[in-house]
Amino acid sequence: MRVVVDPDKCVGHGRCYALAPDVFEPDDDGYCMVRHYEVWPAVAELVRRAVANCPEEALTIED
Amino acid sequence: MAAEPASGAGLFGADLAADPRPTFAELRKGSPVLRLPDLQGFGDGGVVILSRYEDVHFALRHPEVFSSTEAAVDIGQDRPLIPLQVDPPDHAGYRRLLDPHFSPRAVNGMEGAVRELAAELIEGFAARGRCDFHAEFATPFPATIFLRLMGLPMEELPMFLRWRDGIIRPQVDPSDLDGARTVRKQTGQEIYAFFDAVIDDRLASPQDDLMTAFLTDEIEGRRLSRDEVLDMCYLFILGGLDTVTASLDCLIARLAQHPEERQRLVDDPSLIDGAVEELLRFETPVMGVPRLVVADVTLDGVEVKAGERAILLLHSADTDEAEFDGADEVDFGRERNRHFAFGGGPHRCLGSHLARRELKVALEELHRRIPEYSLAPGAELSYSPGIRQVDPLPIVFPVGAR
Ligand code: HEM
Ligand code: SF4
Repeated sequence: MRVVVDPDKCVGHGRCYALAPDVFEPDDDGYCMVRHYEVWPAVAELVRRAVANCPEEALTIED
Repeated sequence: MAAEPASGAGLFGADLAADPRPTFAELRKGSPVLRLPDLQGFGDGGVVILSRYEDVHFALRHPEVFSSTEAAVDIGQDRPLIPLQVDPPDHAGYRRLLDPHFSPRAVNGMEGAVRELAAELIEGFAARGRCDFHAEFATPFPATIFLRLMGLPMEELPMFLRWRDGIIRPQVDPSDLDGARTVRKQTGQEIYAFFDAVIDDRLASPQDDLMTAFLTDEIEGRRLSRDEVLDMCYLFILGGLDTVTASLDCLIARLAQHPEERQRLVDDPSLIDGAVEELLRFETPVMGVPRLVVADVTLDGVEVKAGERAILLLHSADTDEAEFDGADEVDFGRERNRHFAFGGGPHRCLGSHLARRELKVALEELHRRIPEYSLAPGAELSYSPGIRQVDPLPIVFPVGAR
């Protein structure tokens, strides 16, 4: 499972890095940076949750 | 209330603001794209009201169709506010300048002072057993943080609040549109004059504050003009002083009337992050945002024409069953919560990271010191339309227990 962010869609709501800080982090302006594209099992649920809470549909999971 | 209010007065009246959900549900079902012949205080001509999540979502993310320029209600300004009334691509430059000052990292640096202030304000009424939460916490808390950040004098707070109210809630008869316009214009001129003087001062003696940063930061190698700085300050006075106050009012009014929800947060503060998001969704204190249609578009089978004005009902979108399961229920653990309480698309609220932190810290500190509170007996709450403040918000609580 991989997670990717579309920088053209991300506007920096910050829901992703609040929910899954091990996987996402804010850049200096508050936009999403993916720390680890490869999602490991222990955080998979949190990543799904982050994806489900991004209002801009900027995050996608690739199985 | 009828599904199709004949004029906008009903749609943005005080009765509705207390609980807009039933009316908005009717709108979404019966007329998701509602055309009103006129809406008081909203410029001349008709206005189109969007109430479904899907349509609001589309409009927020398509500024090339739903423009923010010249869209706003009359707020007494001479020029477009920056960045609120600027469209992409120019908008992006302003956000690049502003975003770092409001990023999660910047907010982390403020948290200690924010927490101290919250504790101090709560201490001011904790021994009394009652307070007006709106006047004694929800107003001074965000205002103090904001003024410190900007580098503006605290003693002037009453003046800033008077300006805010003069623009957002001018004290004239609601039907007296000319009167309201005059109050706004006068207030606007006072705001420009004040900031003009502050700019002179910072140019002469720079400080470590946002006012100085506006003057010295660069976008693509150029500094902002005096007018550009004024157009930001004008917006900040409105955005920085009102919205967190209204959100705190809405949250505490809700918790004071729902002891089981309050108790869950007291017992397990780790629920607060989710609770803040859920209560922001459920209450959506900024009920709607205005846009100007600049390209023809068809939504739900209704043709919307370039030149029409539009209101995107964020509150209605956030309580739309089509997007949120059990939309009328408060669920702190909601799995999927793509709410638009802070708007969305390029104009996503600049202050959202700061605002979230303020709300979280306020709940943590309040519940630490005053874990039990309820509405004062007999209190009848009144919610102001547009931006849902609750003034006054009298609450009572046991004293002594700590
Ligand atoms: C819970 C509190 C807050 C809420 C609910 C809120 C809500 C909103 C909403 C809905 C918008 C979008 C407007 C639009 O799309 O037309 C917005 C934009 C904005 N907000 Fe907030 N806001 C809050 C706090 C703040 C704070 C604390 C500040 C500043 C210190 C702030 C500054 C701004 C600015 C500058 C914009 C314009 C952004 C742009 O156009 O790019 N807000 N806010
Ligand atoms: S939640 Fe979505 S829009 Fe917000 S920072 Fe994350 S990816 Fe970007």
